[in-house]
Amino acid sequence: MSQEKARIQLVEALRDGRIERREFLRGALGLGMSVGTIGLVLQACGSEEKPADAPPPAGHEGTGPGPAPAPEPELGPIEADLHIYMWSDYIAEDTIPNFEKEFNVKVTLDTYESNEEMIAKVQTGAAGYDLVCPSGYAVSVLRHLHLVEQLVKKHIPNYANLAPLFLGSVFDPKNEVTVPWQWGVTGVAYRKDLLGKVPDSWALFQDAALKGKLTMMDDMRDNIGAWLRFLGKSVNSVDAADLAAAKAEALKAKPILASYVSAPVKAQLIAGDVFAAQLWNGDTMQAKVEKAEIEFALPKEGSSIWCDSMCIPKGAKNLRAAHEFLNYILRPEVGAKISDFTGYGSPNLPASEKMVNKVAYPTEADMKNLEYNEDLGAGTAAWDQIWTEIKSG
Amino acid sequence: MGKLPKWLLGVAAAVYLFLHAPLLVLVAFSFNDSKFSAGWEGFTLRWYERLLERDDLVHSLWVSVEVGVISTLISTLLGTMLALGIARHRFSGRTFLESLLYVPIVTPEIVVGISLLILFVFLKMTLGIGTIVIAHVAFNISFVTVVVRSRLEGMDRNLEEAALILGADEFTTFWKVTVPQLWPGILSGALLAFTMSFDDYVITSLVTGPGSSTLPIVVYSMVRKNVEPSINAISTIILVVTAALIWASDRLSQDKPLTPH
Amino acid sequence: MNPRLWWLRWSSRRPGARAWSLMGPGTAWIVAFFMVPLLFMLAYSFMPKGLYGGVESGFTFEHYVRLFDPLYIKIGVRTLVYSLGCTAICLVFGYPVAYVISRAGEWRNLLVFLVILPFWTSFLVRTFAMIFLMRDTGLINTVLLATGLRTEPLEMMNTPFAVMTGLVYGFLPFMVLPIYSSLEKLDPSLLEAAEVLGARPAARFVRVVLPLSMPGVVAGSLLVFIPALGSYLTSDLLGGAKEMMIGNLVQNQFMVANNWPFGSAASFTVMAMVLAAVFVSLRVRDEPAGEAR
Repeated sequence: MSQEKARIQLVEALRDGRIERREFLRGALGLGMSVGTIGLVLQACGSEEKPADAPPPAGHEGTGPGPAPAPEPELGPIEADLHIYMWSDYIAEDTIPNFEKEFNVKVTLDTYESNEEMIAKVQTGAAGYDLVCPSGYAVSVLRHLHLVEQLVKKHIPNYANLAPLFLGSVFDPKNEVTVPWQWGVTGVAYRKDLLGKVPDSWALFQDAALKGKLTMMDDMRDNIGAWLRFLGKSVNSVDAADLAAAKAEALKAKPILASYVSAPVKAQLIAGDVFAAQLWNGDTMQAKVEKAEIEFALPKEGSSIWCDSMCIPKGAKNLRAAHEFLNYILRPEVGAKISDFTGYGSPNLPASEKMVNKVAYPTEADMKNLEYNEDLGAGTAAWDQIWTEIKSG
Repeated sequence: MGKLPKWLLGVAAAVYLFLHAPLLVLVAFSFNDSKFSAGWEGFTLRWYERLLERDDLVHSLWVSVEVGVISTLISTLLGTMLALGIARHRFSGRTFLESLLYVPIVTPEIVVGISLLILFVFLKMTLGIGTIVIAHVAFNISFVTVVVRSRLEGMDRNLEEAALILGADEFTTFWKVTVPQLWPGILSGALLAFTMSFDDYVITSLVTGPGSSTLPIVVYSMVRKNVEPSINAISTIILVVTAALIWASDRLSQDKPLTPH
Repeated sequence: MNPRLWWLRWSSRRPGARAWSLMGPGTAWIVAFFMVPLLFMLAYSFMPKGLYGGVESGFTFEHYVRLFDPLYIKIGVRTLVYSLGCTAICLVFGYPVAYVISRAGEWRNLLVFLVILPFWTSFLVRTFAMIFLMRDTGLINTVLLATGLRTEPLEMMNTPFAVMTGLVYGFLPFMVLPIYSSLEKLDPSLLEAAEVLGARPAARFVRVVLPLSMPGVVAGSLLVFIPALGSYLTSDLLGGAKEMMIGNLVQNQFMVANNWPFGSAASFTVMAMVLAAVFVSLRVRDEPAGEAR
C-alpha cells in the first residue's frame, strides 16, 4: 500500500467517524514509521467498510516492509442466478439470452430511471442486485457510501479491451470498481430540414424567432451545465456568481422554450413539433433511425461528456456470475451489438471498431471542450436552489 | 323514474367522449406501422408480434395482476370493516380516527415510498412482491373506507331494523340485508383499489426487488426512452381482457340479485 | 355454545370491543405501514441533511423556516390554484355524469365500468395519448387544419390548459364514483313525494337530491383535491415542466437535491394543511348530522 493512499484512507476514515482520534494518532505516527503498520491499523479500524475480498494490490507488490499484500481472492464457481439493475433500453436484446445460454445462468433484469432511485435501493443493502449501472458522479456517491465491491480483475481478462481514454476516470482513478459501459455527450439534436441552419452555439435556445420550437433537458446538470459552458465556466462550478449568471441566461431562454424535456423529446423531433432540442448523441441517433433529417451538433462553447459504468454493489450474492457477465460484455462482438442498439459509443476499443454505426472517440481537441459531470457534493444545494428558481420563475 | 333532461345527457356524453378519446387513439395506433407513431403509416400487427418477444412486459403484467388481486382483496376486506366500524359505532376519538384515515390519501407518493423503504430495511425485509403488496394495501385501505363509508352514510337502516325485529340474528341481518345493500359501495371500493394498485409507479418503484417489476415500471421505462407502440398493443390487450372479465362477472352476478333495484 | 351467539353476547356487553374488532386490523395495518414510517420521516424533517440523502444527527427548524422563502410560497400558491380549479371542474362535470349513471337503470353497471375503464391503462400511456391528441401536429390540429376551421395550429401543449385537462382527466373518476355511490342509494320515493307535493325539477334537485348526495360530493372533492396537490408528472409531461408544483419540489428534494429533510418538511406542511381542512370539514359535516338524528 502506498503512503499516499494510506494517508487518504486515514483522512477519509476519520471524517466518516470510522476511527477514533486515538487511533488516528497511532496511524499518523505510523505514517512516519512504517507503511505496513498503518495498513494493519486501517484494516483493524475499517474492516467493516472494506469488502470481504481485499482490493487488488494495484502494482505495489512487494514494496516496503510489512505483511505481503493480500492476494486477489478466488471467487467460487459460477452461481445459478444473476440480478442486474440498470437504465432501461440500455442493452441489446440478445445480450442476456445469449449469456444465459452460454453460462447456464438465469438473469433477471430490472430497470430504473434515475441514479438516485438506484442509490436509494442499493443503500438499503436489501435490494439483492448483483450489478448496477451508475453514471460517473453516482459512482462517486456509491464509493463514498462504501456501497461497491472491488472487482477481481483476474476474472475479467477482457478488461484489457477498454480504451485508455475511459480508464482512470476521476470516479475510479485506479480502475478498481467500474467497468465502463457506454459513453456519450450532451449536445443539440435538430431537424436540418426545419431549422435551416447548423446550431453552433447554446445561444440557439435564446433565439426568439424559434419560440415554441425548441426544448432543453429537464435535468439540472445538463441544463445549467450548458449555460455555464456558454459563459465559459465549468459544468462543475459551484461558484455563486457563476450560477447566478447561468440562471440569468436560462431565464432568458425559458420563454422561448416549448418545454423542459429529456429523452421523450425524440417523438416530438420526429413529428416536427420541435425543431431543435438539447439531447444526448445516442438518443439522437435512435431518433435518426426513424427520421433521417435529424442531426446532432456540439455547440462551440463546449458541453459535458459522460460515461456510465457497471459496478457490483455491496452485498451482491452472485459475485462470480457478475464477473463472468462483465467479462462477457467486454467481448468485442457483444460490446459492438450493445452500442449499436443504444446509439452511444463503446468504451471498448475493439468493440467500437466492430460497430455498424461507428461513434468516433473524441479527439484531444474535442476533449478540451468536453467535461465530465462530477459529483457536486455540498454544492448540490446551491444548484438545486438555482434550478428551482429557474423552473418556477 | 323521471326522464333526464337532454342537456344533462349531452354533458355526460361529452365527458365519456373526453375519457375515451385517448383510448381510441391508443387502440388505433397499436396497429400503426411506425415506431414513433407520428402519423398513420399503414396497418400492421407487428407490435403484437413483438409482445411475444418481450418477456419482461408479459412477466411484469402477471406481477401486476398478482399484486393487484392480493392487495385489493386485503384492502377491500379491511377497508369495509373499518367503514362499518366507524359508521355504526360511536366511540371517543372517532373524528380523530377518520382524520387518520385521510393521512394515506394526503401523503405525497414519494414520501410514502421512501419512508416504507426505510421501514423495510429497518425490519430487514427482502424487497419483492410481498413488500409491494404491503405498500399497496397501506394506501388502498383508506380509499376503500372512504368510498364504502359514503355509501353507508345515511343508508336506509329500516331494512336492517325490520330484519332484527322479525327475528333474524345480527349475523344473518348483516349478510342478508346490510351486505347486499352495501355491495355497490364495496365493489366500487374494490375497483378503485385494484385500479390504483395496477397503476402505481412511484411507490412501487421504491419497494420493488429483483424480478418483481410491475407493468407500470416497465411501461414507464419504455415511455421515457422510446415511445414504442408495443405499449399501445399491450394496453389494448389489457383493455379488451378487462372489459371481457367485467362483462362476464356482471353476467354472473345478475343471476343472484345483489342490489335491490 | 354457538360461537356466533357467544360472540354476540360477549361483544354486546363491551360496546367498544365490537367496533374495534371491525376497525382493529385495518387500523393496525395503517399504523404499522403508514404511520410508523411517516413518524420516521417527521423526525427526519427536524434533522440536518446528509450529504447523499438521509440525515445527520441533530435538531433544527431550518427546513421549515426555509419554506417561507417567497420562492416556495409562490410554488405553493400555484399548486393550490391548480388543485382547486381541478376540483371545481371535476365537480361541474362529474356530478352530472354520476347523476345520469344513478338514473340509468340497467345501464348503470356498464356506465360505471366505462368511467373506470380508461384507468386500466397506465397513466403514462394515457398521458402520451393525450399529447398525441393535443400537440401541434396532433390529431385535433390535423383535423382543424384539414377542415379549414383554423389556418394555424391551435396551441394546446405546454399550456396551463393542457395541465388542467390532464389533471381533470386523471382525477375525474374519483369524483364520479363517490357521488354516484351516494346518489345510487337515494330513495326514489323521496323524489316522487317532492314531485307530488308540487316541487319543480330544479327545486327537487336543490332541496332533495343535492343535500342527500353531499357526503359523496365531500368525499369526491377531497379525493380529487388532495392527489391534485401532490401531482407532478402531469405538469411535467403536459405543461412542459415549466411551472414547478409542490409535487415536483418534493420529488426533486428526494431524487435530485439529496435533501431528504427539506423534502419531508415540505410534504408535512402540505399534509398538515390538508389534514386540518379534512378535520374541519368532518366536524362541520358531523355536527348537523348529529342534530338530525
